[in-house]
Amino acid sequence: MSNASEALLKGTSKAVLGPALLVLEDGTVFEGRACGAAGETFGEICFNTSLEGYLEVITDPSYAGQIITMTYPQIGNYGVNLDDAQASRPALRGLIVRDMCAQPSNWRSEMTLPEFLQREGIVAAEGIDTRALVRHIRDHGAQRAVLSTVDTDVEGLLVKVRASESIVGVNLAETVSCEQAHPFEEGALPESMAFALDEQLTDGDGVPKSFRVVAYDCGAKRSILQNLARCGADITVVPWDTAAEEVLALAPDGVFLSNGPGDPDAVAGTYQQVEKLLGQVPVFGICLGHQMISKAAGAQMEKLKYGHRGGNQPVMNLRTGRVEITAQNHGFGLVFPTLGELLPEESGGFSEHADDLRFWSEKGIAPVVRNPRFGRIQLTHVNLNDGTPEGIAFLDAPVFSVQYHPEASPGPTDAHYLFTAFMRLMDGRDDYLDIDIAQDRLQGWRF
Amino acid sequence: MPKREDIRSILVIGSGPIVIGQACEFDYSGAQACKVLKADGYRVILVNSNPATIMTDPELVDRTYVEPITPEFVEKIIERERPDALLPTLGGQTGLNTAVDLAKAGVLDKYGVEMIGCDLDAIERGEDRKLFNECMEELGIETARSGYAYSVEDAERIVVDLGFPVVLRPSFTLGGAGGGIAHDLDELRSIVAQGIELSPAGEVLVEESIEGWKEYEMEVMRDRAGNGIIICSIENFDPMGVHTGDSITVAPAQTLSDVEYQRMRVASLAILEKIGVETGGSNVQFAIHPETGRMVIIEMNPRVSRSSALASKATGFPIAKAAAKLAVGYTLDEITNDITKATPACFEPSIDYCVVKVPRFAFEKFQGTDDTLSTRMKAVGEIMAIGRTFEEALGKAMRSLENGRAGLGADGKGEVSLEAEMADLVSRPTADRIFFAAEALRHGWTAAKVSEATRIDPWFAHRIADMVQVQENLRGMTLDELDADALLVAKRYGLSDVQIAHLTGTAELDVRAHRKELGVVPSFKTVDTCAAEFASSTSYHYKTYDASETEGAPRTKQRIMILGAGPNRIGQGIEFDYCCVHASYALREAGYETIMVNCNPETVSTDYDTSDKLYFEPLTFEDVMDIVDVEEPDGVIVTLGGQTPLKLARPLEAQGVPIIGTSPESIDLAEDRDRFSAILDELGISYPAAGMASTFEEACQVADRIGFPLLVRPSYVLGGRGMAIVYDGAQLEKFMGEAARISPDHPVYLDRFLEGAVEVDLDALCDGEQVYVGGILEHIEMAGIHSGDSACCIPPFSLSEAVLAQLRSIAQRIALRLGVKGLLNIQFAIKDSVIYVIEANPRASRTVPFISKATGVPLAKLASRIMVGESIASFHLPPDDRRLDHFSVKEAVMPFGRFPGADVVLGPEMKSTGEVMGIARNFPAAYLKTQLAISYALPDGGVAFISVNDRDKRAVVPIVRDIVRLGFRILATSGTARALQAVGIDCEVVDKLHEGSASITERIAAGDISFMLNTPFGSATRGDGYEMRAAAVRHGITYVTTLAAAQAMVAGMEVVRDSGLDIVALQDLPQWKE
Repeated sequence: MSNASEALLKGTSKAVLGPALLVLEDGTVFEGRACGAAGETFGEICFNTSLEGYLEVITDPSYAGQIITMTYPQIGNYGVNLDDAQASRPALRGLIVRDMCAQPSNWRSEMTLPEFLQREGIVAAEGIDTRALVRHIRDHGAQRAVLSTVDTDVEGLLVKVRASESIVGVNLAETVSCEQAHPFEEGALPESMAFALDEQLTDGDGVPKSFRVVAYDCGAKRSILQNLARCGADITVVPWDTAAEEVLALAPDGVFLSNGPGDPDAVAGTYQQVEKLLGQVPVFGICLGHQMISKAAGAQMEKLKYGHRGGNQPVMNLRTGRVEITAQNHGFGLVFPTLGELLPEESGGFSEHADDLRFWSEKGIAPVVRNPRFGRIQLTHVNLNDGTPEGIAFLDAPVFSVQYHPEASPGPTDAHYLFTAFMRLMDGRDDYLDIDIAQDRLQGWRF
Repeated sequence: MPKREDIRSILVIGSGPIVIGQACEFDYSGAQACKVLKADGYRVILVNSNPATIMTDPELVDRTYVEPITPEFVEKIIERERPDALLPTLGGQTGLNTAVDLAKAGVLDKYGVEMIGCDLDAIERGEDRKLFNECMEELGIETARSGYAYSVEDAERIVVDLGFPVVLRPSFTLGGAGGGIAHDLDELRSIVAQGIELSPAGEVLVEESIEGWKEYEMEVMRDRAGNGIIICSIENFDPMGVHTGDSITVAPAQTLSDVEYQRMRVASLAILEKIGVETGGSNVQFAIHPETGRMVIIEMNPRVSRSSALASKATGFPIAKAAAKLAVGYTLDEITNDITKATPACFEPSIDYCVVKVPRFAFEKFQGTDDTLSTRMKAVGEIMAIGRTFEEALGKAMRSLENGRAGLGADGKGEVSLEAEMADLVSRPTADRIFFAAEALRHGWTAAKVSEATRIDPWFAHRIADMVQVQENLRGMTLDELDADALLVAKRYGLSDVQIAHLTGTAELDVRAHRKELGVVPSFKTVDTCAAEFASSTSYHYKTYDASETEGAPRTKQRIMILGAGPNRIGQGIEFDYCCVHASYALREAGYETIMVNCNPETVSTDYDTSDKLYFEPLTFEDVMDIVDVEEPDGVIVTLGGQTPLKLARPLEAQGVPIIGTSPESIDLAEDRDRFSAILDELGISYPAAGMASTFEEACQVADRIGFPLLVRPSYVLGGRGMAIVYDGAQLEKFMGEAARISPDHPVYLDRFLEGAVEVDLDALCDGEQVYVGGILEHIEMAGIHSGDSACCIPPFSLSEAVLAQLRSIAQRIALRLGVKGLLNIQFAIKDSVIYVIEANPRASRTVPFISKATGVPLAKLASRIMVGESIASFHLPPDDRRLDHFSVKEAVMPFGRFPGADVVLGPEMKSTGEVMGIARNFPAAYLKTQLAISYALPDGGVAFISVNDRDKRAVVPIVRDIVRLGFRILATSGTARALQAVGIDCEVVDKLHEGSASITERIAAGDISFMLNTPFGSATRGDGYEMRAAAVRHGITYVTTLAAAQAMVAGMEVVRDSGLDIVALQDLPQWKE
């Protein structure tokens, strides 16, 4: 920033906090200005396309190890409302925005986003051509990056970033999991996020049913637990590597496997326990939880070029043909054919796996594979943008999971019905997944 | 689900003429829809009375009816064409209302036509407030508390519960016509009384005021499988209380957190399902209390709308196209995203820029009307601007309006210094309030104070405060002090080169040179629906300084850049956009890469697939030059978009930009009165005597020389602004005083006014060697009425072959002498067998689309091909002196109903917003169709009220005889009655207004009058006539203000009585094919 430009900004809301440099491992450099805490941070560079919900993104534990770029240019407009936070502390490594707002406006705002970032020690930069950065990531893939407000030597930063740790092969879940088992306090449910009490299952006398759920915490978003609780779950949260025997000893009605950051292959401590739980108790997994179930069934994972992160991903439910607009956040995904051979008699007569799973959405078929460990597994959900798997259901065991985020936060709540489905699964219903989005749409919203 | 095979032919209803609240966005939507339906193999039948639309191009659909959009005419079309289905959701409120009428009248059942996209029940649940409120209650979604009034007393009762202020909404009126906010009993009584009159149901909704709340819109789509998506959220800059069409709006929503946004999202989708919108697009509006977050649904429209057109342009998602495909059975996941070509349309666009829409008003045209914005829409057009930040987009928007401003203030205009005046200007919502808000901030108001005074959200106020702060920091710096960083800051806060020049005391070109020397040039980004997540194959771009990487496709062929027409306003309407679109179509077909530049989101030209490349940018020198710098076009077309691009011709040429077609020098030859007069003298062509004067004394000398009456106008004003006809010295003195005020340093032009002359418009093509006369239009009104407001007919109905040949010959000589390469429009006046040339415009005129429709020769397409070097001879056109065997009439549509208080008399200043066309075997029938297309009702007996000025008293007699013969009883004012009684016509005498007793306005209000003929003269009868005409407009009485129109109307009524009106498809008329 030259003196003349600082003179022009005098008296505006734009604080001049000094330069920030973003250097990618392939040598690409972006210059910006600091707009959060000062410091130097390393992580995988990726982007999120949600138009709103920056606070939920910043506080989502699944972003551990990553530097997030928001594609919407002006971030911080409505300030910070801690009710919306997904964890008590942010886990991401850094934040990149086009333009940071220091004078927000919203009736629920408690502080500005720059204040929050500084309080939480999150390094952030603004003034970067985020669209160019996103196009670079799209074309060249997610990669290691360094964001620094203290070192302005590009060459030095490049050396440092190339020496930094990749997130591939690293168990990040353990860094954001809880220390010890604890109940989820339902009392903490914020008024603003009122979901789904109406749909709660009841017994013959109309009394709401309650289900004992053990939730593996690999970095669980608060809103997932809130949604489970609202649907009638009485939740005990346990650390990521809790032994299956300990879980079963709690005599749960069901086990929930949470979302979490990073490489699923590195989270053996969870999926090895999950393998022992599948078939023993109803299990529902979201995101990393879905990957844990897949790993437990012996499937392989792949790293996506630049991942799915945003709130507008179309997913078709192959059982109903309906499309859900979903919130997503994952850089790794299941390779569906590795779950097992296709069963032609339950897959519309097809016996060859398709590389692009949109083959099934176009045919209107939910194919079934024979898994060597757990019997039949059905592909229930497919991403219509790129044909990747988004959900599976075991047909010979009470297990289902989705790669995307039915709790949204941020994003559309079309898939909220999956929480209800989990309750139905624990209630022993075979048709647990057959819920109309439209019927479920307004569950619990208060206007 | 694939498309329906049980439907083969589909009737699409358009929206008719451009009126306030219903503009060319419906041509954009309708044209898109027609194209995809046809591409899907359906036989498409279209009805739309507006000839200036792309959708009525005969090659677009199978059967095109340019006929009145009335249940009677649409039934005739259904009877002849027997469509399987009717798609009613693309023609705005007009299309929807007509469809509802047809369904209710049993016409659809009678002919077995299925309404697709939306059924009658859903339309009624969406439109009928009672049913709508019930639906919302069942969903648990709050509506504003309200009650229905069928009388003023009802309203008074309801307001006891609600308290003032209350919002009043008459049921079933277009664009909120007749609505308003009442703050006290007096206002309540007057608005309710008017509203009950205007509402077809005689019903007014009285509603709790949510004035000042935050306002949002959601654009929603749904398919028949039940998949629902939000295309775009829009946040209004102006709070509740200003009609959303009159509000500045911003996409996406800026000040909502995710949970607040998602609440609105689920509500929108649930509302669509509840109302029963089976497929298609809808728009749902919400209000949110700024302090509590309480959310109230305002309304939903179960059809594509102005907002959906805006949302399409803002996101790149073609809502109308998708709606048409959904209506024939596809589901969203089966439609491919046009922009990425790889992902499905079943997703929610993510945008990585900010979009600002600003309405364009025309209050200066309607003196005497209140310019306060309210719940009744008054904007005549709008512009949209895209930037990476709100600040950048707003800066761009404020220089796109074609109102002489170079941005948000800091351009040496509109400065306010008085604090007292400031408070009123800032708090009252008007067209210019945003400028005043900026001025207030400049004078030390805080953002909080501005927000408090205006109820504009503090977020917006803070952003504007930052913009003003940067401007003020810049003021007084020198250009040399600005380094690259500083210039970037200025640009990122939305400043134009003109503003920087003003603030640093330099010239625009100096700023540009300095900027480029320092390497401060903009980059161009792409609108791709997905925030760059996927590669995009569509070149839809905007300019930004808030980024460093430019996206653009490499050059593959010769590039032609077409400069569009900017915002719709009176005098510059959809006709020019039509010409630009045609040029792009023709040149694409001829193998060129076409580049469109425009900032009007309502138009077809800004559809991303009209041209190879679209730049959504203001039409200023700076913005156009920046695009020229990156695109390096081989040719730039400035003569098709009206005045907006034309005025750039010289400055662009001076920078070495290759202007193609008629050269800027030739344009100047025609526009410069002295140079043009010299050419006419040289060619021996007559023109009215003229002079110039700066003072009243000088004016008197001119008047002595050329005689009264005079057509007088200030120089250097546009669109006939301030133009008048003066008959005597007293009027001249008054005018000279006014002119000195409007345009103090410029002289006034005085032309001999050819009273009673026949006016003629002629449009021709010229390639430098040959001239082809596309059409000759005879005006129905006599000289003195702006050609844009005058009805006209092709072929001429009263001119001899000899005169026509003479007109063609004059056109040929002028075109060749000026060196026209492209289009030329000449206006003539013929009086006492002498042909006078009034003016020549070497550019596309307003009448080009109409003539093209009437003759089957696409003039704008041919003009663009001439501009790239093709010859007229190579087109093999039909001879231009051929006889057309049908008559086509164009009639102007006036917005007077929107501007209570403004006079409805036609004059030399243009006031119409749109036009309709009527085609028939004879002139009267064609004329009558235009009247039906506008007023939707034809008087068939009852009382005709006649009041004419003294000059017309003799000529009116035969017309009144005809009126009597048609079965009307005659009511006349005393002077007119004397003239009529003298020749033995029976008539009742009614008092003029100031004569007391049961005045004519009371008779009008009582519904006694079915037809009114009133010709004003000079200013003497202005007061009276004004009241009568205003009453006629309010009560929707068919009225005419010229004898010529009355004559045509009466002849038309006779034709209807004798033989009825037949319908004509354009495809049955001769069409030129290569």
